[in-house]
Amino acid sequence: MKNFWGTLTLNARLGLVVALLGLGALIIGNPSRTSGVTIDPQELARIVQTETDHVSVEELADWIIQGRADFRLIDLRSEAEFTQYHIPGAENASITALSEHGLLRNEKIILYSEGGIHSAQAWFLLKAREYRGVYLLRGGLDEWKEKVLFPAIPEHPTPDQAAAFEKMKQVSTFFGGTPLTGTREQSGIAVAMPKPAMPAPPATGAAPGGPPAKKKKEGC
Amino acid sequence: MIAPFYKYGLFGDSVSLIVAFVVGIGFGFFLERAGFGNARVLAAQFYFTDLRVFKVMFTAILTAMLGIFYLSWIGFLDLSLVYVSDTYLLPQVVGGLILGFGFVIGGYCPGTSAVSASTGRIDGAIYLVGMLAGLIVFAEFFPLVEGFYTSTPMGRITLPDLFHLSYGVVVFLVVIMAVGGFAGATWAEKAMAARKGAPKA
Repeated sequence: MKNFWGTLTLNARLGLVVALLGLGALIIGNPSRTSGVTIDPQELARIVQTETDHVSVEELADWIIQGRADFRLIDLRSEAEFTQYHIPGAENASITALSEHGLLRNEKIILYSEGGIHSAQAWFLLKAREYRGVYLLRGGLDEWKEKVLFPAIPEHPTPDQAAAFEKMKQVSTFFGGTPLTGTREQSGIAVAMPKPAMPAPPATGAAPGGPPAKKKKEGC
Repeated sequence: MIAPFYKYGLFGDSVSLIVAFVVGIGFGFFLERAGFGNARVLAAQFYFTDLRVFKVMFTAILTAMLGIFYLSWIGFLDLSLVYVSDTYLLPQVVGGLILGFGFVIGGYCPGTSAVSASTGRIDGAIYLVGMLAGLIVFAEFFPLVEGFYTSTPMGRITLPDLFHLSYGVVVFLVVIMAVGGFAGATWAEKAMAARKGAPKA
């Protein structure tokens, strides 16, 4: 064996090594093992407990107004519901199609559904596939409607609550919502939902303040 | 998994420019050392007299391919984060042909013309100027060709996706192709040398 190796030229040796590595690849098949599912239950439990994976609707509203483009917002509801209304900048994806949606493992992904159950389930599925930055919109679209689109002032507001309401009124107007004039009980929920096209998603760069969204161009 | 380093945020935009500079200088250096700053060596590919470029390029492809495959296998590299440019079949076929014609006529490809120019060759410098002029013309007339430029889009597609093969099978086939290519290239060089041997100009 040693003699055989000694008789080979350098090129033949390299060729042999390459052929062996190629053969190894043939046996291995697929190199990435990320298609399988690996979970660290303790780590997931810790995240759930500390709620570090939550994004509140107020935070999200602020980010959209600032025109931040460092996250992807995924709407998990049906296409019909999505067409009717969605949070500006959101992309529609069903839970089953999530793995083919072109999400990257190092992206910040914010999931929302009507309430919170679907997004929580999708969160787990993505976490199991080693997506790192997956977040839930706390309260889902229900809370978005309640706090951002149609904010109402509590019956006996403290000065703090009144100030917060004044701020939310502006946010609400930005998103095409209607701040309720009285308390929620007095006004009822007979207010019209804004059209999904209103306001224009700030990704177009028209948002007040903040730099326009930039997409990194890659390639050689 | 910790690679690709940039995608995992091990360094930011500004450091990535330095990394690109160092890699680029290294690339140019080895192209020059392989003799690719000389248009005669490059053009010899098309006459089968000296298939050095073919061999060097295929060696690079094999090294990179096997490296990526095995690094991803041991869990060092996340293959899904490696950039793959989108496929636009027809425009890319046409573009490849144009590049090929330019390569045969001018004796350089874009990278090697830069290498050649930086070693002080006049033909390389002229090639580089022509390339920049072509870039400007292309950019200015881009709206006219945009429809064709984005036609037949296939998205991010790879051979394993297209033929429903595992990556390993594709790696193996490329290895076979390369080893066969090396043997064939060596044989062709010898055959051409023998033919040229008698009436050597």
